[in-house]
Amino acid sequence: MERAEPPAAAYERRVLLSAAQHCYLRVRLELPDGAARPGAPQLKQLVVAALRELHGEVGAALPVDVLAYEEKSLSAILRVVSSGLVKLWSALTLQGFYQNRRCAFRVLQTSPFLLALAGNSRELVLD
Amino acid sequence: MVRFKNRYVLCEVLSEDPRCRQCIEDRAVGLAVRDAIARAHGDYGLGCCCVSFTVKYLNAYTGTVLLRCRKDFQRLLCSALPLVRHLEGRGQRFPCALRTLHVGGTIRTCQKFLIQYNRRQLLLLLQNCTSEEERHSVRQSVLSCSLAEEQPQSGEEEEEEEDGAETD
Repeated sequence: MERAEPPAAAYERRVLLSAAQHCYLRVRLELPDGAARPGAPQLKQLVVAALRELHGEVGAALPVDVLAYEEKSLSAILRVVSSGLVKLWSALTLQGFYQNRRCAFRVLQTSPFLLALAGNSRELVLD
Repeated sequence: MVRFKNRYVLCEVLSEDPRCRQCIEDRAVGLAVRDAIARAHGDYGLGCCCVSFTVKYLNAYTGTVLLRCRKDFQRLLCSALPLVRHLEGRGQRFPCALRTLHVGGTIRTCQKFLIQYNRRQLLLLLQNCTSEEERHSVRQSVLSCSLAEEQPQSGEEEEEEEDGAETD
């Protein structure tokens, strides 16, 4: 029994999963012990060291970029190749020390689109 | 779905130093490979590969090593094998390299491959022989591992092949 074909759609929506090349993360570094605040190069070194510890030389060779860094609030926007998101996030999670003081990386937002990091509905204040 | 699948990697230890042969032990080779995995793939790689990692078979005369790992982490192991540069044993360090010959799912397939490989190696050795005694002994080895027509059950036994590898 043949079914009647649905009428041709007026528009077509294509959804491609994991088609983006890069993933962007907004992270914040917490230093509760009042250690010296790292600059942007020190932050990148910390991220690469975390990757090297958890994922070895192959992980340290992952292309990670620090796109923006605010030293006052210690928050940064990182960019990584999409296939390396899991490795980067796990390495950041398990990084516990910066210059022998306790630290923690909090991942605030992550998205395959950089523009999506501009607005954060969690920090939205409703009057 | 139900059972754990393993991959068996057959390697050959290449070394210029002839004293390295004494140093080839299962513990030394296992430690060297483990170090290489830790350097290349970090704590995560070390944890993944060393769940079911052992040196199953070792032949110090030919430098043949059979390693086992889980099927899911075979690529991590195989990518770390070229990074093994030294073998340490009895307080000495020898530079060496590991060459991968074959990757199989069972010890039996690796054994079959090893038998054929050793047969080909014997023929190569025969061509490269320098003295008459060497030539004679290699010829004897080649004859002993070929099929003999008279016996009904011709053994395909390779005289360098050990049979202690099947136990688990």
